[in-house]
Order: sequence, then structure tokens, then C-alpha cells
Amino acid sequence: MEHSKQTQFGSSDKKDAGTSSVVNGHCDGMVKRPAGGPSQPPAAESGSQRPVMESWREDRTRSVEDNEMRLPSLAAAYTTILRGLGEDPQRQGLLKTPWRAATAMQFFTKGYQEKIIDVLNDAIFDEDHDEMVIVKDIDMFSMCEHHLVPIFGRVHIGYLPNKRVLGLSKLARIVEIYSRRLQVQERLTKQIAVAITEALQPTGVGVVIEATHMCMVMRGVQKMNSKTVTSTMLGVFREDPKTRDEFLTLIRS
Amino acid sequence: MEYQHDIEINGEDKYLNICKHNGLCKKEKDSKDDTDSNKLSHIEKAYTTILGELGEDVDREGLLRTPLRAAKAMQFFTKGYKETTQDIMNDAIFDENHDEMVIVKDIDLFSLCEHHLVPFFGKAHIAYLPNKKVVGLSKLARIVEIYSRRLQVQERLTKQIASAISEALEPAGVAVVIEATHMCMVMRGVQKINASTVTSVMLGTFQDNPITRKEFLDLTIRK
Repeated sequence: MEHSKQTQFGSSDKKDAGTSSVVNGHCDGMVKRPAGGPSQPPAAESGSQRPVMESWREDRTRSVEDNEMRLPSLAAAYTTILRGLGEDPQRQGLLKTPWRAATAMQFFTKGYQEKIIDVLNDAIFDEDHDEMVIVKDIDMFSMCEHHLVPIFGRVHIGYLPNKRVLGLSKLARIVEIYSRRLQVQERLTKQIAVAITEALQPTGVGVVIEATHMCMVMRGVQKMNSKTVTSTMLGVFREDPKTRDEFLTLIRS
Repeated sequence: MEYQHDIEINGEDKYLNICKHNGLCKKEKDSKDDTDSNKLSHIEKAYTTILGELGEDVDREGLLRTPLRAAKAMQFFTKGYKETTQDIMNDAIFDENHDEMVIVKDIDLFSLCEHHLVPFFGKAHIAYLPNKKVVGLSKLARIVEIYSRRLQVQERLTKQIASAISEALEPAGVAVVIEATHMCMVMRGVQKINASTVTSVMLGTFQDNPITRKEFLDLTIRK
């Protein structure tokens, strides 16, 4: 999904040229950009050369039926892990653990089963509102793709509508779809911002995520109180410092 | 204290000279050639399978070394199986004529739920009433580490910590309280973000004397 970034707002994305990027398991066989660098960002409303709704078309990499079919091999893998750690998979407390752990892991990665278009389609409304809309303190749970250990924190989203507003819970649903995957916090922030951009074509979008990474807290450096903050500012949030300032102040209060 | 139910659970406790693993000790003896690096590569392969079955692309850049990292992380999270109380306690027990309560509180604790293999974390508060023997304070935290870095159930964890201190020091009383958040409840299932689980074990004077127990609770969890 990396390349589908930014359409009317210009892209600072590095993975630009030509090849389809495989991120988060998604091989997006979508419209490929011509090799030779990013195209000029087209005008916002007029017919852009590029399809705007690219994340809407992303394919799911798995389905509910897939989940059931793959559960036995997942459970077998977890049994191997238990043995490898020196535990006895036959003891009472661990008897059904491989199945529970496998189902839990499938739940933690259920974002791969969902598509933006499914959750958003019905909830975009025409509204003559152009003031900032903020939904903050959205609890977020994800999995670190490097260590397979949880990440959790809060997401704050703000956008400036351009005649179209989104049902508020849909912002939280977008967070869910992208966070329930094997993620890197930087990419997660960007994906959320891009999805909102593509769905609404707003004047600007800002996404801030503050999270605690268990891979840093439970192991490695073991810094209990550390937090990682990432942000993506698009459109007028990026260009106008006052707008950005207003957004950042309102999410702090 | 009742240890019978601890048999089969959570590994061999050399300090007590009781083998608590029904099946595994024999297995371990049989597979002496299964070295640590062998085990690591088994776990690594299992994680590669898991990534594939979850619908991810195992060859993408971010996931290339993930199986190895995840396997090492999991080994770190269960390093308590290899450690024994005896190793860490032996040198740090001192004769001291002190019989007032000693509390070490807010010990950060990280463990793995044995049912879902998902972390739970929180704080442990430990108190004991010495009976002529005191222990180096960090050793209490190390005991927490030994037992928490395993596949655990919070109730058992609390009891194991209390038992270990009890056997090592033979104090007049031991109290352990653990407050923890279970990711298996927060990230999945009921998804209750603010729920916290509290378990406690009171032994000796802490169990018999309500005033002692109250003093401990006032000094630790009632802020």
C-alpha cells in the first residue's frame, strides 16, 4: 500500500517508482506508476490521472474460511514452540494453549481480512462543514512485526472536511483495520492518514499515535516508561502551522 | 502450604529437590543432544510457519528476520525456567536482629499468559516479617523475575513467589500481592481496557493477624 499514498497532497514517499510494493502482506496489483519517479500531484478535485481510491480496492490476503483451514497448522506450530521452550504441552494448563494462541494470533491480525471499502462505504455524508473534526484517544492495539509482541497506545485523528464528513466511528474502524496487523508504528500512522485522505478528499488530515512497545519494555533495553510518538500531517495540516498547532493543542487538552 | 498441585507445573524447582515435571525430565534426559541452538531453530521454523499461515508475506523486508527475533524474544520471556531460587538467594541471606515488616513494592512484572501466550504485566508488592534472617532487597525482585519469566497463571505466580521466600528465609510471615493487566483480556476476548486482576497470598502472621495484614495493605496498595 505504500505507493498509493498521496495523491493530491504530494508524496514524500520513497517507494515510488513503478514496482508494486508488498507491504503488510499486501501485494497490490493496482495501477502501477510509470517508472521514473513520482508524478506531479494532480489538482484535488479535478479528474486526476491516478485512481484516487486505491486502498479501497486492496485485496484481502485472507478470509474467514482461510482462518479455519489454517488453524491446525498454526496450532501445530505453537505446540512446537511450547516444546522448544522447554514446557510440557501435555500438562493441564497447556493442553489447549496451541489452539487458543493460534486463534488469538488470528484475531490480532484480523486486519488482513478486512477492507476499507467495506467499513466506510455507507458512512460518508455531504455536509457543509469545514472546521476541524477531531476524534482522539482511540485505543489501539497492534503487533510489532519484528518481534511479534504487542504494541498498544492511543491514536488521535483530525481532519478538515471538504464538503464530505465521515461517520465518527469509522475513523476508529480504520484504526482497527490497520492496527490489527503486523505493523511498524510509522507505517501504521501513514496508512491511517492515507485511507482517510482517499476516502474523503479532505483539505487536510493529521494523525498522531503514542504507543508503548512491549518489545522495548519486556525485553531488550527494558525501559518501562518509554513511549513512541509518530505523526503524519497531510494537506493543510502540513502546510499551515496554525492549523497543525490547533490540532496538537486540542489533542493535548 | 500445599505443593502437591505444583507437581507437573512450571518445571523443576531444584531448590526444593522436587521434580515438578512429570513428563519432561525424562524427555530432557533422552534428548540431551537437543541443544539450545537446535531448539531455537525449531522455534524459528515454527514462527515462519505462523507468519505464512496468518496471510503475511514471509519474504518481505520487514519480516525477513522476524522468526529469529520472535524466537529469541520468546526464549527471553521464558528464561525463568532455567533459573532457580537457590542460585540467587544463597549468598544474600544475612543474620540480622530485625523483626519488623520489610516491604518491597511496585516491582514491575512481565509474564506470559499460559493460555494464550500473550503478555500480562503489572506490579508485585512483597512483604515479610524476618525471623533473624533478612535477604538482600534486590533478591526479592529477582525471585519475581524467575517466576514471572515463564508461562504463567497469575494465581500460581503469586503463590510461587510467596513459597520461595518462605522456604529460603523461614520468616514469621510473607505477603505477596500482584496487580496485573492481562493483554488477553484487553486486546481480544472481552476487550476490557481498564480491567486489572489482583491476587494475593498471605502466609504466617500475615494470614493469622489481621492487623499485620492491614498494615501491609495500607503501605502498599492503598495509596
